[in-house]
Amino acid sequence: MEAERSPGVGSGNSGTYTAEIAESLRFEEEIQSLIHPSFDASPATGGSFTALLGLPANQAVELLHEPGPGEPPASAAASSPVWQIRPGEQGAAPIRLPLGCCSSTFPSNAALVDRAVRFPVFAAEESPASSSGGGGPPLRLKVESPDSDSPPSLSIPSEKPQQRSAKRKEAGKSKTKGTTKKSKSTEKNNAVPKAEAEDINGGDKLPYVHVRARRGQATDSHSLAERARREKINARMKLLQELVPGCNKITGTALVLDEIINHVQSLQRQVEFLSMRLAAVNPRIDFGALDSFLPAECGPLQAANGRTGVALDPAPWSSSDAASAAGGVRRLPPQQFWHVDLVCPQQTSASWERDPHVLLNSGISLFGYDPANSGNSVPVNSNQLKTEL
Amino acid sequence: MESKSLSRDCNNPNPDPKMAFHFLRALLHIQQSAATTSFTGRRRRIKRAAYASMAYSSGARRAWSRALIHTLRRRRQRQQRARTAVALPRRIRVARPPRREVAAADQAQVLRKLVPGGTGMEYCMLLEETADYIRCLATQVQLMRNVVDSVTNS
Repeated sequence: MEAERSPGVGSGNSGTYTAEIAESLRFEEEIQSLIHPSFDASPATGGSFTALLGLPANQAVELLHEPGPGEPPASAAASSPVWQIRPGEQGAAPIRLPLGCCSSTFPSNAALVDRAVRFPVFAAEESPASSSGGGGPPLRLKVESPDSDSPPSLSIPSEKPQQRSAKRKEAGKSKTKGTTKKSKSTEKNNAVPKAEAEDINGGDKLPYVHVRARRGQATDSHSLAERARREKINARMKLLQELVPGCNKITGTALVLDEIINHVQSLQRQVEFLSMRLAAVNPRIDFGALDSFLPAECGPLQAANGRTGVALDPAPWSSSDAASAAGGVRRLPPQQFWHVDLVCPQQTSASWERDPHVLLNSGISLFGYDPANSGNSVPVNSNQLKTEL
Repeated sequence: MESKSLSRDCNNPNPDPKMAFHFLRALLHIQQSAATTSFTGRRRRIKRAAYASMAYSSGARRAWSRALIHTLRRRRQRQQRARTAVALPRRIRVARPPRREVAAADQAQVLRKLVPGGTGMEYCMLLEETADYIRCLATQVQLMRNVVDSVTNS
């Protein structure tokens, strides 16, 4: 774990800081023993690494808020070198990070939580000297116990894993990282941080995917990329299984693929078969009745005379409008139609629920505009179509 | 028709008006020239119209629809060229080597042949395109069934 962290640490922007952090992480053992005696006194609120880091975090809090009131000086000494580097925060009364964000940043310490879980002593979460007033329960993580650590105390420890995982150090941006990480972490109910494929920091512009290796698995970049790809493929396969009926029960990728292929082939055969039926029946097609399929704003199908292209220019619409025998037919400008059609397809699909006849009258509600006029024109439209045909 | 309900969408007979519009318009056009064309010719045209409406409803958003549009246009151009080049003497055709039976053991390969534009995709994208293609095919089949039913019933 150290090994996987150190590269990330090493590649951090602030070399000294990250080096110090690595150092502090190795101090963990000492800190643990230091924390332990003071730990019993604190209220037990669930195991979390906050207990582990609570002390040094609190040290940091102390350092941040009021340099002075203290936890055991030894732990302070251990953690102080870490915090000394923080620019401008030593002894600075106002904490740099806002309180609200700290609580969200806290759970991002995936690795630290991991470590904390491994330390059974930290059955209770401590939040001593939470001068910030104890933020919300940020660490509702894999540890499965809400922590009510003081938010500012979490801001500092939350830096470390972020830097490790994000491979960069942004003190001010830890809150955003934490938020995304928390949302990701809360989904995991095991103590092992899973691969996170997210742009962790919305503020930073780093485009690549940050993936965390699972416990006991290779951390090689190649294997990580492969794992991400495999997961993508599995997600798509699941989607396909839902689409193809009867695929849920099949286990095994090969059989599922067979089923998918069969389904595609059967659909294509159905299209061919139906086209044959349509060809046989074609001379008798009454396109007036078929209008019910379309949104009423489409206008009569007669308008499409001679045009097979997809591009619906306004010109043919207007020309067919003029050419249409029915003078009373009112058609909306084609641009509007297509605009609505493209912009709100969901609306239209939702309104298809009704009976086609009802649709003729009320289908205009598809397009939010001009319901009244269109409602009058549509039935006229279909009647005229029948006469024209 | 109102009794039909798509399994996935909410009981609508037609979830895709764009597709319906294009298909019906093509049908109308085919019908108007139906007097001259034969049954098979009509059938081919209707099938082409079906695929065209499918592709146009997805537009350029999907790789398969782009590939499908491209294929359709290419075939149409070839047809037009064939029509204008009727007077050419018959070309001496070289016997093509018989097509090798490609072992269909590789399912990804089979899928690539089925889905338009599949040969140029990698596996992950192929799966995604297949899902969308299946969805669109199902919609098209539903639409065509509705049309046939409405015609045969009325």
